[in-house]
Amino acid sequence: MAPKKDAKAPAKKAEPAPAPAPAPAPEPAPAPAAPAVDLSAIKAFGLFDRVGDNKVAYNQIADIMRALGQNPTNKEVTKLLGNPSADDMASKRVEFEGFLPMLQAIINSPNKAGFEDYVEGLRVFDKEGNGTVMGAELRIVLSTLGEKMTEAEIDALMTGQEDENGCVNYEAFVKHIMSV
Amino acid sequence: MDCHNEECSRPQEEEDIMDIPLDDPEANRAAAKIQAGFRGHMTRKKLKPEDKTEGEEVSITGDVFNRSVV
Repeated sequence: MAPKKDAKAPAKKAEPAPAPAPAPAPEPAPAPAAPAVDLSAIKAFGLFDRVGDNKVAYNQIADIMRALGQNPTNKEVTKLLGNPSADDMASKRVEFEGFLPMLQAIINSPNKAGFEDYVEGLRVFDKEGNGTVMGAELRIVLSTLGEKMTEAEIDALMTGQEDENGCVNYEAFVKHIMSV
Repeated sequence: MDCHNEECSRPQEEEDIMDIPLDDPEANRAAAKIQAGFRGHMTRKKLKPEDKTEGEEVSITGDVFNRSVV
């Protein structure tokens, strides 16, 4: 941003009044009094800004939060955004100051799932109670229940997770999931 | 009919779909949580190698644009 020129006072013999320089403030100030998450949040946010307007699209918000270690459901994010239409999700953009409170809400969310929650969730499909679920069945669950995943997503997720019988040891699976 | 203790490679889609509680809110809620965890993991995994290569096209954001999050 080009700094405004100082309006020069007409030539007078009076003492040179110190012209109040307008504060340049070129860089966006990070949110004040916020925890250490801010620095990585700012970095992640910038990484996702493909337009260069210091904003990100609504439909990128969930992924930025994931990049920052959170696991929001799409529903949680949509709700935080005020339940926008699909059109808005694709076209509307938000600046960092708008994003940060949403991130905080997710971070402070009371019902966050941990290792046990995932294991128990998968145990429901452990028909033989032997610590494994059928990969094929898990794929169907992931694509038909909850927030359905696409085949591509499921493939990416399940690569290398099924044993020679097509079964998944879900405790090991969850450990693997939580390691990144 | 328990066909699960032998090969796990048969699709059996119809039978499995009948077993799956499509309308059960609890099951759907549990599934959504699991899926959220999976999506978080996959996003972070995708971003990891990108971190090292500065100046390259960050394909993860390309993916995000293409995928409609509804």
